[in-house]
Amino acid sequence: MGSRTLVAPKNKKNQLSFLERLGKKFSDFGKRFADGSLGTKLSHFIFGAGNFYHKQYIKGFLFLLIQVGILALMIFCPSVNGTPYGWKALRNLSLTHVTEGGAFDPVTGHFTSGSDCKLMVLFGFVTIAMIVIYFLVWNLNIASSAKADKDKKIGKKPSTFKEDLQELLDGKFHVMMLTPTCIAAAVFTILPTIFMIALAFTTYNSQDMNDLGTNLFHWNGLQNFRAVFTGEGSLGVEIKNRFLPVLGWTFIWAIFATLTCYFGGIILALLINKKGLKGKKLFRTVFIITIAVPQFISLLAVRNLLGEYGPFNAMLMNLGWIKQPIGFLGLHPGDSEMLAKFMVILVNMWVGIPYTMLMTSGILMNIPTDLYEAARVDGASTTKMFFKITLPYVVFVTTPYLISSFVGNISAFNTIFLLTGGGPTYTGYQAGGTDLLVTWLYKVTIDQGSYNTGAVIGIFTFIITATITLVTYRRSKAYNEEDTFQ
Amino acid sequence: MKKFLIFLMVFAMMAAMLVGCSEGGDTPAKDPNDDGEIRVWVGEESAEFYQKICDQYVADHPDFGYKITVKGMDTGSVAGTITNDPTAAADIYTVAHDNIGKLAATQCAKPITDQGLIDQVLADNPASFQKVIYSTLNDQTYLFGVPYISQALFLYYNKALVTDEQAASFEGLQEAAKAANTKAITVTGDDGFNMSFALLATKVSDHSTTVKLYEGAESVSGGSKGVSNCQGDDTVAIVRWLQAYAADPNGFKWASSDGWDADLRNNGALAVIGGAWHYNTAKASLGETNLGIALIPTFSLTNEAVEGLTGVAAGDTYRGGTFADCKCFMINAYSAASKYAKEQELIKYMSSKEVQNASYLECLNVPAYVGASDYIKQCYDEGKVAEGEYKLAAMQVGMAEWGIPQPFITGTLNTYYYSKNGPAVFRAMIDKTAYPTTGDKVLTETESLEGIRKGLYLIEYLWMHGQAPKEFPATLPTPA
Amino acid sequence: MSDKKIKVSSQSRNRRVSLTVTYTLLIVLGIIWLVPLVWIILSAFRCEYRADGTFIGTVTENYFPRVFGLKNFKDLFTATYYGVPKAFPLWMLNTLVIAVIDCVISTFLVLSVAYCMSKLKFKLRKAFMNASMIIGLFPGFMSMIAIYFLLKSIGLTGNPQHPQYSVIGLILAYSAGAGLGFQIAKGFFDVIPNALVESAKLDGCTNFKIFQRIILPLAKPIIIYQALMSFTGPWMDFIFAKVIIGADNARYWTVSVGLYSLMFGTHPDTNLFTQFAAGCVIVAIPIVTLFMFLQRYYVEGVTAGAVKG
Repeated sequence: MGSRTLVAPKNKKNQLSFLERLGKKFSDFGKRFADGSLGTKLSHFIFGAGNFYHKQYIKGFLFLLIQVGILALMIFCPSVNGTPYGWKALRNLSLTHVTEGGAFDPVTGHFTSGSDCKLMVLFGFVTIAMIVIYFLVWNLNIASSAKADKDKKIGKKPSTFKEDLQELLDGKFHVMMLTPTCIAAAVFTILPTIFMIALAFTTYNSQDMNDLGTNLFHWNGLQNFRAVFTGEGSLGVEIKNRFLPVLGWTFIWAIFATLTCYFGGIILALLINKKGLKGKKLFRTVFIITIAVPQFISLLAVRNLLGEYGPFNAMLMNLGWIKQPIGFLGLHPGDSEMLAKFMVILVNMWVGIPYTMLMTSGILMNIPTDLYEAARVDGASTTKMFFKITLPYVVFVTTPYLISSFVGNISAFNTIFLLTGGGPTYTGYQAGGTDLLVTWLYKVTIDQGSYNTGAVIGIFTFIITATITLVTYRRSKAYNEEDTFQ
Repeated sequence: MKKFLIFLMVFAMMAAMLVGCSEGGDTPAKDPNDDGEIRVWVGEESAEFYQKICDQYVADHPDFGYKITVKGMDTGSVAGTITNDPTAAADIYTVAHDNIGKLAATQCAKPITDQGLIDQVLADNPASFQKVIYSTLNDQTYLFGVPYISQALFLYYNKALVTDEQAASFEGLQEAAKAANTKAITVTGDDGFNMSFALLATKVSDHSTTVKLYEGAESVSGGSKGVSNCQGDDTVAIVRWLQAYAADPNGFKWASSDGWDADLRNNGALAVIGGAWHYNTAKASLGETNLGIALIPTFSLTNEAVEGLTGVAAGDTYRGGTFADCKCFMINAYSAASKYAKEQELIKYMSSKEVQNASYLECLNVPAYVGASDYIKQCYDEGKVAEGEYKLAAMQVGMAEWGIPQPFITGTLNTYYYSKNGPAVFRAMIDKTAYPTTGDKVLTETESLEGIRKGLYLIEYLWMHGQAPKEFPATLPTPA
Repeated sequence: MSDKKIKVSSQSRNRRVSLTVTYTLLIVLGIIWLVPLVWIILSAFRCEYRADGTFIGTVTENYFPRVFGLKNFKDLFTATYYGVPKAFPLWMLNTLVIAVIDCVISTFLVLSVAYCMSKLKFKLRKAFMNASMIIGLFPGFMSMIAIYFLLKSIGLTGNPQHPQYSVIGLILAYSAGAGLGFQIAKGFFDVIPNALVESAKLDGCTNFKIFQRIILPLAKPIIIYQALMSFTGPWMDFIFAKVIIGADNARYWTVSVGLYSLMFGTHPDTNLFTQFAAGCVIVAIPIVTLFMFLQRYYVEGVTAGAVKG
């Protein structure tokens, strides 16, 4: 999806010829069938037939196995939790072939459960993926047979299975290397993402469903997106009233969190790498430890330290600076929102600065020393050198990092979730004062079961992060250098 | 063009696996789920006990024919775990009774039809419980839950700083708090269950309150929701009283961000209204000797609280109320039909008086059956339990008299109180802050009589309709 | 002469002053950075009792413990959590197994994808790179249910007959996405001169041989970096693992799920804080040690990632 938007503007010419290319594809296809050997012709119906014809038994068998496997899945419709895959899953995708279920036989104890709409959607998409694969393999198996035909024609022997494997280690090496990742990404990233996007167009909201006394949901078009602006639906008012504030805070947070850690890290790196300073390694180690300790440990430690009855408040009270403990992290509904916001940014510096420090240390050492020498000859002060040489150089080199950490901060779940839990909460709203889009999404889906609303928030988050990434990435050095490399 | 060769192969393998491994077809064959094992989920604290007595049962009944595995679950989140994927849940699970409607409606539970078991449930349990263990399936009413533990809120207090007399009333606690320069009392959370101490408070002299929750509701989908009332003058007076009590420097406070136990431990509050499941934490906070247990205290309405109201008088004494709930065994809808009879047999055993008694002795679970207080007393007299443990049970049984079980109707209406912002409105009133989401109107001036009436109207509306009204009516309806 | 001397000495004095300031700053910052971590360690060794003999396991307002002891560790290793006797050592073992396998698979995937993207030329290469960058930006919580049911379809969640299969499911789910995070490793491979690859090709090496004989030996820093990253992942995730392995399957939980549930269940026992702290110390020790030893590689990886984007 993303790739097309990226490539499209450059390939205007190719787009124009798209229809031509399509036509050619079809004619090629017809020609392949007409010119093909008996095996190739048969391959159009039985996978691997051509390979068997050319005595490539293992390959043929593998093709056949795929055909039989997918067809069996399509026809027999195996089911999980009572929800089938296969052709029934395609039919189910409409979410109209549903039953409420609940028929119960008091004597035998036999219980008929109703349709599980979420699985219907999920398995529907899995089945579509299977069908796409079926046709890809279909084309592949014909092509494989056609190639063997061609080899035969020019007097070469069709490749053996062993040769095919060897080809995988050389000419088709990328196929072998990328296949596991492609499969894994398709199953564990792309399919779930499609599923999630699809939920945004449904009425899958546990509370509404409970109110209606049903287990079923259905498609409802763009209604959930409209609710963001109109405030309709069970979470509508919350979404309408809280969406912009949360979005705004997400940006403010991302900007501050990125910049504070970035410049804080540079300054720390400069301090540690100061000439003549002893114990560099020791200092560095101290800061690295915070990176190494799992966040759920270190952030919870901070949270407890700053708690109402924690050591920090106790210290302030002993010093007589405060009379009442302060709710630093907004864990209490009445606590100050500004203070909580300030504190999460502050604590995030604690988390993020060592990281930037490490990164910039290396870069600082790579700054050509003659630049400084020249400046020194000109009588530039240390401060001036910092602003004229060091900073520009570091910023220039680390711009990609700055962007990726900005995007990362937009969806920084751990810091907010573990520190404030999104608090201080507001009476009547799920989204608290320090909730980011992602933590709000978590509450809305995992705590509330409003999957459709969650999906809408998720899609908005995605649009924001993807836009920033794409726009900046396309302008970056890395992207443009890629072109020259190609 | 063999680009995706391996990619596809693995997919086909998966397809083949799917065909091979899964349940096979749309219509379940003859109970492929029956693996000769009955799995039971109970609360974490009593898993060991129930495993022991189940093993005993199997040993005593060689013809039972099933292996029983008991696992402890976090009872607070177990209902969510079950609804997420009921097929992965145990055959028999336990939840608080207010989840029955939801689990029945989402088809996670199977009714109980064994006459012997039904008879036992009807014979053993108080009428209040019997009202809330039924739900409907396809417009048929069935018994769904079998009570085996009763639960109610009561008071934990710090004996070092509060005398027993002081712990009997909110005013007494206030007095003790003044002496200790701290707050009198806190709650373990701000949800509807914890706030029930105020909303369900009843007049001591005649146990009366005008609060009604779904009274006379029919537990049939589409049936009547019954009558709810939250706008009586006594309720208004109680809110006003609590507003003043919370504003007092030695009055009520919400639990700190470190948890109510931190308040207790650090003398941030002298008492807390909590349940039996808070016992270990409370004990750890105060130490066993300092931990006092009592009924939820009484309070007397002040002149300011009753000003301008009828039907209430200054000096009227109320006792804090509670939802007196029960935990129930339920049968998973996805459990194999062939296990059905044995599951009911097992539940009958696990919910029998004998086992409930044994579970009190071993795990401090307060029995749910009528007359359990005699047994509880007897155990104490015979020296089988310590004083704290006795009080823990006795006060819960005592509070049951002052409370009602959380009501629910056909799967939906119970959730209103928890998740539809009723408690949030209530909290806003006590804090005298605004409540934002009344349709397009904001509930403001919650400190004024008008604001309180509006807030209570809002709560009642939430109970009945599950969502806030678009706006407040020009004149609030007079209480039913 | 003397003029110059004065200048030098004032310079050196300036320098000394600025060094002192730097030292002070760094020491103060270092203390700030260590305070929470030291506190967890101190809490783990805290062994205080109330006058009536009950153990104080909660957060207390005193930063430094009054009494030190090993009780928390002893309890941690022997206690029954969630009905699982001696759960903590089991959780440690589970996590170790998961982390090691995940580490091997993930590292392999990342290296193979990065190599393809950097040194091989093929159709769809650019498309793959762009897509992989975008896909990862979707918030992951909702995919959790989808992944759960996909794994359940192939029997890899915590079903009662074979609860241990859920561990395989979790490893799959952890390592599946790894290949898409190839950017840093690709940045590293980009620096390896193409001429090296070209000359090997002229010598008749297959792409596989080039990868195996030339690239891998050069890639040691990035291999270690990737391995470190993927090894530490399972020790830090406290949400996803519980969904996949199952709430009733505590025997196969990872250590972070276990520790997190101890402190943040629906009815958390705050009295377990010191035990929780002890657990944190045990979890942190191997990870921090690894980081310390492999610091150089970590810095190299981080820097490469920052610059290459």
